[in-house]
Amino acid sequence: MAVPHTVDVLVIGGGATGAGVLRDLARRGLKSVLVERSDFGTGTTGRYHGLLHSGGRYVGKDKLAARECIDENRVLRRIAPASIEDTGGYFVATPDDPDDYVEAFAENCGLSGVDFDEVRVADLLAREPALNPKIRRAFRTPDGSIEPWQLIESTLADAKRHGSTALTYHRVVGMELIGNRISEVTLRDERTGTVSRVWTRFVVSAAGAWAGQIAALANVAVEMTPGKGTMLIYNHRMTDAVINRCHRSSDGDIMVPVHTVAILGTTDIKVPDPDEYEITRAEVVRLVSEGAKMFPDLPRMRILRAYAGVRPLYQPPADAVPGVGNRSISRAHAILDHADQGVENFVSIVGGKLTTHRLMAEQTVDVVAAKMGVTTRCTTAEEMLPGQEAGHTYWLGHRLADHEEEGGGDAALLCECELVDRRMVDTYLDTHWPCSIDDVRRGTRVGMGPCQGAFCTFRVAGLVAERLDQHTAATGLPAPGAHVVDGHGPGTGALHAAIADRALTGFLRERFKGTRPIAEGRQLQELMMTNGIYVGVLGLDSMASAPAPAVDEESLHAAR
Amino acid sequence: MPHADVVVIGAGLSGLVAAARLAETGATVTLVAKGHASTHWGAGGLDVAAPVGAGTPAEGVARLAAEDHPYSFLGPDVAPSVAWLLERLEASGLPYAGTLDTPIRRVPTAIGGTRRVAIVPAAQAAALRPWDRDELLVVAGPAGFKDFWPAAIADSLGRESVWQGADRPSHVTGVSVELAGIADRNNLNAMHLARRFDDPAQRADDIGRFAAAVRKAAGGRPGRVAVPAVFGLGEHAEAWEELRARLPLEPFEIPLVPPSIPGMRLWHVLRERIRAAGGRVQIGEAVHRIHVEGGRVIAVEMEAAARTHLIRTEALIMATGGLAGGGLVATGDGHIVEPLLNLHVDAPEHDAWLVADALDPSGHPIEAAGIATDAGLRPLAHDGRTVALANVLVAGALLAGQRSLRERCGDGIAVASGWRAANELATDAARTPIGREPLAVRTDQ
Repeated sequence: MAVPHTVDVLVIGGGATGAGVLRDLARRGLKSVLVERSDFGTGTTGRYHGLLHSGGRYVGKDKLAARECIDENRVLRRIAPASIEDTGGYFVATPDDPDDYVEAFAENCGLSGVDFDEVRVADLLAREPALNPKIRRAFRTPDGSIEPWQLIESTLADAKRHGSTALTYHRVVGMELIGNRISEVTLRDERTGTVSRVWTRFVVSAAGAWAGQIAALANVAVEMTPGKGTMLIYNHRMTDAVINRCHRSSDGDIMVPVHTVAILGTTDIKVPDPDEYEITRAEVVRLVSEGAKMFPDLPRMRILRAYAGVRPLYQPPADAVPGVGNRSISRAHAILDHADQGVENFVSIVGGKLTTHRLMAEQTVDVVAAKMGVTTRCTTAEEMLPGQEAGHTYWLGHRLADHEEEGGGDAALLCECELVDRRMVDTYLDTHWPCSIDDVRRGTRVGMGPCQGAFCTFRVAGLVAERLDQHTAATGLPAPGAHVVDGHGPGTGALHAAIADRALTGFLRERFKGTRPIAEGRQLQELMMTNGIYVGVLGLDSMASAPAPAVDEESLHAAR
Repeated sequence: MPHADVVVIGAGLSGLVAAARLAETGATVTLVAKGHASTHWGAGGLDVAAPVGAGTPAEGVARLAAEDHPYSFLGPDVAPSVAWLLERLEASGLPYAGTLDTPIRRVPTAIGGTRRVAIVPAAQAAALRPWDRDELLVVAGPAGFKDFWPAAIADSLGRESVWQGADRPSHVTGVSVELAGIADRNNLNAMHLARRFDDPAQRADDIGRFAAAVRKAAGGRPGRVAVPAVFGLGEHAEAWEELRARLPLEPFEIPLVPPSIPGMRLWHVLRERIRAAGGRVQIGEAVHRIHVEGGRVIAVEMEAAARTHLIRTEALIMATGGLAGGGLVATGDGHIVEPLLNLHVDAPEHDAWLVADALDPSGHPIEAAGIATDAGLRPLAHDGRTVALANVLVAGALLAGQRSLRERCGDGIAVASGWRAANELATDAARTPIGREPLAVRTDQ
């Protein structure tokens, strides 16, 4: 998709917040463009633990945040029902949780407007037998799990329906100021290197943990305190409901069932650079030992992978002490009007949570609209988003039913863990092409189940190559997107292969980053077996040591 | 109580070789295993040694024998054991190509990479021959088969880089072959296909379609055909002969992700040889306890179908595998243990287990973890000198000091150590012959 020449507002950042801002702007009649340096939902949004907050985690220390969560929880259930699994949640008082917190919990929920019921522990244990039998009290709250990529896709679809556009792989590299206003923003296409300029009346930065880097382009200081949160993916759902410890939020105190797996969160460690951090074994050990207070058998359960996201925490820098935990910083968001720093048409939205992204967008656009003289009110809480018509999230059973019903030669199961068949991948490719294999993963959950892509990544790569070759055979032309690497390879086949290579070696290497800190027991065995297959039988090392293609895996986005 | 001269634990290549060799020498041998092993997830060839720089397996063995490596004491047994195995495979109708002196060559893989081999099943042998400049490679597989994507493989093999400097075909093209009745299969795997090729009528039709598709793709040019390794299981020899006879170009099989059909062929041959010589093979029985008395193993206890079996034995061969096979287990606190006998494990420090890059060409130090033994394969105690248990021998991937992914030596170690373990015990058994009473156990599987 071409970069527009002039827009009302340029939104930076393709996470949930940026998508929400673009949608809200579009619905208020402001023709806008969103630019994202990578793919949508690859930053903090795509690396979070899957929780739709009830607000219960914040009732003790931040009642405003708690109230925002419960309000937005209700809104999201209405506008994005297909992205949410209504698992329900429980706050459980383990023997390690302080009495005063537990006793005040109900009252605090009441004060924050968070719905709750105290349930009998025996009933809870009957429902969730993996829980600690020594739990003393339990409160039911309307937590859930939420699928971020589908949510972003729906949100952007609504924005597009209202005349706006969104571009992936476009990095903001410069801002021109005329007087005290940004007049022009310079973008670089990360795949082609092509530089383009957009005239804009207003700029909204929804770059999250990267907001400081963006603001610096307009000579504005925004001090972010990126907080790394490490999470562990377990190979099964040991609980069908979200489980929280009933205490002041800390490490390893929440388990969220997400599709076929369950995710234990989190740690919170200040990191200097949101792009550079690693997961340590010490963090994993701490998460598991804390998590075992909720699920005593946790140390014997199988971890598939560790991963981390970076929270976009904001606080004036004086309060941030390096190396100290971040949990006291507000999760609530802030809208920074940079007119205070001498740039009239530039706002950053920082902090916040996925659950409140729509509210953050609304409040941001209220500020922007007022400054631009637009009086249309916000309507984003009212209608169901496009693509959410199913009204409920799918379970594996739904997929199995579809698969059985469809049958047919095109329905080969490519991903046995998540029941993704060829028809689903073909449909995704038909509607999203050109796209990367990693996009297919986010779009269909192929490779997100217990085998973590070991047996399906090469199948998707094979399918993509087959389609590309069919296109070339039928038309005599390189497949769309292939022009990006003209001059870099001996032919289209080499390009198709490079795409597959990147997906495979990238998959194995990326996955390894997440399995290395948890390589114990069965998972170390699995790691050795996967390496044995990929190196021993499939010779992946011969491809990994090939000269790096001149473009990255996402080259196929070029024609989007 | 059932009795065996020797119990072998583990159904990977080392256990199978040990049991087959022992059975041949007249000992009563029972092989027990919790399930299938390396044969079912390997490529079906014999990777003896292909460390970087070695031109032949023999050179590779010599190079590794000079290091702190199992070949430092197994080296002399490699040639006779491999010759013994190849002879038996040939006699059983599963011939292999290549010897220890065959040049190590790069052959194509199922994702369009290459791997270094020298000794492979005959059905993979055509890949070993050097490529002439004008040769075409046609990659042909059944349409709709999710573990073999001809277009993707051809695209990748068309690149010089994946051949790593070796000679290569001048052109590579992929063709999908429409097989009858496949279209309504929604979950087609290698086993389904292998069984199709075991059926003579089905096979005749399928191979006809392959031949037509390949003829069209080749257009009269010289070359070879790569096909997925699914051409028959029980009737592989017949299926392969038929394919060779009817294709216009010479075919070779490319091994796939597990379950490995070439590995299963190997497994079936070795199991039959063990049985034919009077040995027993019991799969699906996990050993959960080994009885030790006076520094010797006296019995092995298995659990199957909710009851336990006990086999009294004079000696035990531990062919339980390395970390991938489950013979070694990481406990979760930075230790690697051998769970059945708690043998002392040589392993690197926890922090050094894995290097940062998954595909680091040097491999990962943890691969070398295992049991140190004396030259007679007897496990050593913590002091590195004393023999831990007098009548226990260690074979295969459980042996310390091999980095089989980097060195591509896993099959050679399995064969040489299985063979040596059997020879050591056969001598003992010959001294104290024991009657061959039928054991009170069920048949395997």
